[in-house]
Amino acid sequence: MKKTLTINLANQVFHIDEDAFYRLREYLDRIEAHFSDKDERSDIVSDIETRFGELFGQKISPQKQVIILQDVEEIIRIMGDPAEIGGEEKAEERDYAASASKPKRLYRDPENRVLGGVCGGIGQYFKIDSLIVRIVFLVVFFGFGLGLLIYIILWIVVPEARTTAQKLEMRGDPVNATNIGNFVKDEFENVKKTLKGKKR
Amino acid sequence: MINEKLLIMDLENVKAQMRKGVLEFCILSLLSKGDGYATDLLNKLKESELIVVEGTLYPLLTRQKNAGLLSYRWEESTQGPPRKYYALTDKGREVLKELQSAWKGLIDSVDSIVNQ
Repeated sequence: MKKTLTINLANQVFHIDEDAFYRLREYLDRIEAHFSDKDERSDIVSDIETRFGELFGQKISPQKQVIILQDVEEIIRIMGDPAEIGGEEKAEERDYAASASKPKRLYRDPENRVLGGVCGGIGQYFKIDSLIVRIVFLVVFFGFGLGLLIYIILWIVVPEARTTAQKLEMRGDPVNATNIGNFVKDEFENVKKTLKGKKR
Repeated sequence: MINEKLLIMDLENVKAQMRKGVLEFCILSLLSKGDGYATDLLNKLKESELIVVEGTLYPLLTRQKNAGLLSYRWEESTQGPPRKYYALTDKGREVLKELQSAWKGLIDSVDSIVNQ
């Protein structure tokens, strides 16, 4: 005996096993996450859902009224992995991104800051230790009295890297779904580590 | 030493890129012969082995539609829910013409090099 759920897929009602439902949910979520352009995404997802509905329709009969995990797995194989789907028509863009010099911008780094994160950002930009940048700034400040002024101007002029895309740009990593995914995962791990550290 | 895995990936990438350019051309060609809905197109493209996984088609259709090459309308179906029928727009027909001549040129150029 198994528990089933009732779903509305492209305006059609299907009974689906619980495990099959979660597999389908996970797949559709991944498809959705794969396409960053909002307008494109809703169209693509709804088209793919419609196709799922069509293929589900072929899987049910009076003798078999429920969509099972095997059906979902089979159709997912037909539809292809999100990376494969995007991969085929994004192959060129990805190549371009890899070969072209990565876009890199100067941001203030909010995660590596003493005051405004200016030195942290400069360190990221030139891929040098921010401590060295800070020492140079201090030397210039005490030596010539200009450092503080320069720092304040940079603080005002240089934007802070707030979004994930900006943080990737700051590091010089290309902004794409994989990198954003990795970044979010890293951040999550960091937070987990910090929390664990605090508990101890 | 050449990394074998990398080589295979590159080969797949080259093949995918070859298919990619041709696929958009083929979609427009198929639709120039009459309006169709995604599953019609899928069956034809799969028959000629231009599509490996079905999912590939949907982003292409959406992008061609957003680029103004295709329009669509909903049509009732005797079996199942209404279907999204795609049709070529005037702009789509123009692009198709361009692609046809580009394709002919490409075949000639490639032929002249490969069969030298």
